[in-house]
Amino acid sequence: MMPTRASRVQLAVVLLLLLVLHFYLRPRLWSSRVSPDFMFVGLMLFAMRSSPGAGAVAGFLVGLATDALTPARFGAGMLAHTVVGYLGSWGRSVFFAENAIVNAAFVAAGLWVRDLLVLVASGGGERSFLAELTLYSPLEALTTGLFALVFLVVFREWFSIRLDA
Amino acid sequence: MASASERSYTRRDTVLFLACLCLSLVALVSPKSWGFGLADSLRETVLGPLVWLQARAEEGRTSRVRLRAITAQRDSTSYLAQGIPSLLAENERLRQLLLLSHRLSNPYVAAEVLHQAQATDGRTLLLSVGSQQGVSVFDPVVAPEGLIGVLLTVGRRTSVVMTWAHPEFRVSAFTVRGNAAGVVAPATSATDPEGALEFRGVAYRDSVPVGTVVLSSGLGGVYPKGIPVGTVTGLVREQAGWERVYRLRPMANPGSAAHVLVLVSSSGRDLAAAFPSDSALEARRLDSIAGVRRADSLAQAAREAKSRRADSVAAAARDTTRPKLPRRPVHPDSAARPKPSPAPAAAAPAPAAPKDSAR
Repeated sequence: MMPTRASRVQLAVVLLLLLVLHFYLRPRLWSSRVSPDFMFVGLMLFAMRSSPGAGAVAGFLVGLATDALTPARFGAGMLAHTVVGYLGSWGRSVFFAENAIVNAAFVAAGLWVRDLLVLVASGGGERSFLAELTLYSPLEALTTGLFALVFLVVFREWFSIRLDA
Repeated sequence: MASASERSYTRRDTVLFLACLCLSLVALVSPKSWGFGLADSLRETVLGPLVWLQARAEEGRTSRVRLRAITAQRDSTSYLAQGIPSLLAENERLRQLLLLSHRLSNPYVAAEVLHQAQATDGRTLLLSVGSQQGVSVFDPVVAPEGLIGVLLTVGRRTSVVMTWAHPEFRVSAFTVRGNAAGVVAPATSATDPEGALEFRGVAYRDSVPVGTVVLSSGLGGVYPKGIPVGTVTGLVREQAGWERVYRLRPMANPGSAAHVLVLVSSSGRDLAAAFPSDSALEARRLDSIAGVRRADSLAQAAREAKSRRADSVAAAARDTTRPKLPRRPVHPDSAARPKPSPAPAAAAPAPAAPKDSAR
């Protein structure tokens, strides 16, 4: 079933809200390294409701924006987000149900995979690699997953989310 | 919105994925300058609004941090400033002024002294109150220590005080014990220290000891009774045996006054209770000590009389309980002897009698 015009508008509004949160609220929160990645939540929400190709394109665009804003290694963000967007859309169509907790866990796992891919593609020291993957990335994945859970509960009508297990 | 089961995994999605993946890998392996250039152009164009939004957010966060830092610095500065002696003195003066305002029974208007950088500042003061605040000409102006002066002119928002240092200043006064009266005026003698007052017109028969506080008497209708004017520091001169002039150390210093009280409609009142000066307290204490001493002297006299009486009684008791001397043996023929005549008998030693019995 093709998404209706109303659902597309709702998704656009949600993505815009997440974009504003990412660029306006996130800098005001505590340590930005463990703050929720609102833009990644938007990417996953989009990817989980789109085809894998659209998810990959969306991931590519988000990665392009990320690389443009944090040009540590141009292309790493694009690669990671493209893979995660594609896998998110493909994996959800295969494995996941319309459950808020499962969706939130999926977002958290996707963020950790994204960080893993970015770190691998960017290179760097082994010490920072381990610290990122074992400390900062799980914390960021946790906060992002919790935010995604709250967000899905608040907008459950728009995303057709079931709250029962 | 399409459900998961309704979505299809198509060849088109694979192509899109591979295309994006290839572009990403190209970007990854491309020269850094290309990547930086593309990132710059994206930041300047498409991502410009987002960068602007983030800049505002960062600015807000840093502003908040700066505000906290500035607040902390301000608090620290305020804390340190409280230890500055001049501020401590001003706080003490304000506390005294507050206490005075509580003690005053008549209406008053608090005013700030606007000191001017002139040599005559101190003779006249500019106050921050005027007729709008309800003050009028000839209202007395006081500080916590005592009299400052009287309002000379009153504008709408400001007024001018003629202080006691002004050559035309006069106030009818009397000593705190009430035994001498006169007029207080600025010292005119060249030998007197600057800023001194004179207590003139004191009757020659009235002697005022050094340290006595002189208060306004309330005569004349301008100054209420009981405002401390000065403390006697010595005798200036005596005139022809009918007048003494004493030197006074003023109670209040107009040059250092920062806040004063303007007494409104205060004529005919007694404000002595509002100015419990040290000298007055000392006088009361001396009176009290003198009273105690008087009482002590009476008690001492009573004690001495009592002890004297006790001594005499004890002495009398000692004499009466003293063992009597054995009588001389009577000769057998003494009876045969002719009795002595009264005259020789009077000359004979009398038997021991109590010495202090008559006492």
